[in-house]
Amino acid sequence: MAVFIFALLGIVLPLSENKNNISVFKYLPNIKLGLDIQGGSSLEYSMVIPEGARAEEIVNNVIAVLRRRLDSAGYTEAVVSEVVVGGERRVRVEIPGISDTRRAEELIGSKGKLYFAEVLEVVESTTPPQITRNRKVKVNGEEIDLYSYVKDSRNPNLWYRVKNVFEFGDSPFQITGLDVTDARASLNPQGAGFVVNLSFNNQGKTKFELATANLIGRQIAIILDDEVIIAPVVRDKITEGRAEISGIETVQEAQNIAVLIKSGNLPVDLVKFQESTIGPTLGKDVVTTIVNAGIIGLVVVMIYMIIFYGWMGFVADIALMYNTLLLLGILSWTGAILTLPGIAGIILTFGTTIDGNIIIYERIKEEIRVGKPPLTAIKFGFNKVFPTILDANITTVLAGIVLYFLTSGTIRGFAVTLIIGVLGAMFTNLVVTRVILEGSSNLIKPEKYLKGIVVGKGGNE
Amino acid sequence: MPNLNIVGKRKVFIYLSLALIIFCVIVIFVKGFNFGVDFSGGSEIVISCQEAYSIDQIRNALQQIDPSYATAKIVSAKPSGENITKNFYVITIKDSFPTSQKKDEFIAALAANLQSVDLGVEQFNDVSGYAAKEIKSYAWYAIIITLVVLLIYITIRFQFSYAIGAILALAHDVIITLGLYSLFGIEMNLMAVAAFLTLVGYSLNDTIVVYDRIRENRAKSKSTPIEEIINSSINEVLVRCLHTSVTTFIVAFLMLIIGGRAIAPFAFGLTMGVVVGTYSSIFIASPIVISMVKNKKKGTKKASSKAR
Repeated sequence: MAVFIFALLGIVLPLSENKNNISVFKYLPNIKLGLDIQGGSSLEYSMVIPEGARAEEIVNNVIAVLRRRLDSAGYTEAVVSEVVVGGERRVRVEIPGISDTRRAEELIGSKGKLYFAEVLEVVESTTPPQITRNRKVKVNGEEIDLYSYVKDSRNPNLWYRVKNVFEFGDSPFQITGLDVTDARASLNPQGAGFVVNLSFNNQGKTKFELATANLIGRQIAIILDDEVIIAPVVRDKITEGRAEISGIETVQEAQNIAVLIKSGNLPVDLVKFQESTIGPTLGKDVVTTIVNAGIIGLVVVMIYMIIFYGWMGFVADIALMYNTLLLLGILSWTGAILTLPGIAGIILTFGTTIDGNIIIYERIKEEIRVGKPPLTAIKFGFNKVFPTILDANITTVLAGIVLYFLTSGTIRGFAVTLIIGVLGAMFTNLVVTRVILEGSSNLIKPEKYLKGIVVGKGGNE
Repeated sequence: MPNLNIVGKRKVFIYLSLALIIFCVIVIFVKGFNFGVDFSGGSEIVISCQEAYSIDQIRNALQQIDPSYATAKIVSAKPSGENITKNFYVITIKDSFPTSQKKDEFIAALAANLQSVDLGVEQFNDVSGYAAKEIKSYAWYAIIITLVVLLIYITIRFQFSYAIGAILALAHDVIITLGLYSLFGIEMNLMAVAAFLTLVGYSLNDTIVVYDRIRENRAKSKSTPIEEIINSSINEVLVRCLHTSVTTFIVAFLMLIIGGRAIAPFAFGLTMGVVVGTYSSIFIASPIVISMVKNKKKGTKKASSKAR
């Protein structure tokens, strides 16, 4: 009983602010619905991780960058997670409620090349100006155009002629988003307006020191995806690996710049591995049909049980309802995600619960046929049936566990409901059904089964 | 309680099953499977539009984009919701779209060729060739690892011969159901794999119930010949097996007929699996244990040592 109330609380209590408006889930606000039910998009990308690189770090980096990009674009509900399948690491982005993935894909797909460059000249022009003489410079094995025109991110007619590579010190180098560890907006401590504080890692610190030392009084442009975010003037040589960009007018602007700088570089290229998008209307429709099929099936089975087993069949129906509520309650409490195959798993659980009851009842019938009074027959029946139900259900749970560990995504939802459902069915059958039956043994009419003994005797010997 | 001589006629059932298995293997080799994008790679796009088109019209529109799309699979599917007035079409093509730009181009070209004003994308599944390969290999791993785990469990709880019997019965169920998928052209996708694993769990459940009764009856009377014990055990649990199968069948069958296209690969496997699984648990799994147990007995008598 206590278990039942606990489960019921999980269903009823307004634990989260989820709003499900599909079919029966209206009444089950705490169950998280998978993307295939509520509609949405799931994008999975594989990463080209270079040999010898620390994969763990790269993946975390990628996730952090994607998280920031999606947040800043308003996709705060999106889930970014790592998927490890057979030693290969991938990232998955799940965005509920959208079916137009273009914007999200643009955000995710762009490598987001962020770098610092020396500004040579600023020109105004309505057409993109052309570089007349150019040459390529090799930095870390990559050939880069030395000069280019880059437009301003806010004013499309403002063009910066920049030198993409710093040629100070022993060899040419670039300062990229990978050298920046943090960017934060804050109030200017020494004057009006707002500032963005940049922090560099060790490598970045040395490079930035070298660049600023040679460029005092000149502008350095911060460029993201071929647009200049901001081009501050260097006032001093910066040695501590910390820089401050001042003279920003509003706090929004400062925050925006900080986010852009921080979410700049993806350390690796992302290649789309798979995508699955389902429109909200279609998902809703499919779910409604499946739930209806499940409910009709359930009612038919319940009637079937009462026809064949009378009072005991009614008890089985109670057990069935009980286990269903238990399952829904556990799903609510644990926050497991219910997917379409998950619903199939629940429907399957009906089968397991009924099966357990049938096994028990057939045993009780046998005991009654031997002549035991109902209460004793029930006690004997349950004791004998215990190993049967244990073995039969443990094998199903084992299959479910294998499935859980070997799959990902929606099929995993099936494994979850199957495991919870089968364990719940075992508990319901062995404890709940037993308590109800023992308490109501006077309602079982042994004469009904004793008649069968004449027919069945031959089979027993 | 029924009293059927199942064990006595076991050869009939075993030959029947062998014939069925051979038939199914031939069907699989000749007809192959209707693989969904999960296994073959490619894109599955569900479009909706106000206008009604014939399949040929859509095929022509696809062909105009790329001649190789002539082989695309096109299914007209209308969801059963009352307030849906649009027409739905499921298009499966072999290409995967690596960028959103390519995808947009494809949709725009399709809308232009069909001269549709409100063509919308309801569902989009894109599985790259790598993903398909991986899913395929993991589907195999899942099945093999499940079998091994079950083999170990049954050996611990029963005996090794029983484990072999159960696994053979499972292989029997899986092969025949695979054959039926091929025969009826039901789509093979991840849902179908889930159906197979459920079927494995279900059929095994049935088999274990019979084995459990055999275990119990053998413990009661060690002198009775194994054939008799197995036959009476099967008869004792027959009613239970039928009740369980009928109830599960009702639920699965209803899912198959009302559930529609999305759940069909799952519901089909389950519906067929219940029938095949029940048959194998009663007529195959236990009878084939007999010969193994007998051989083992001879062996142990000769060695005159540990019997269990």
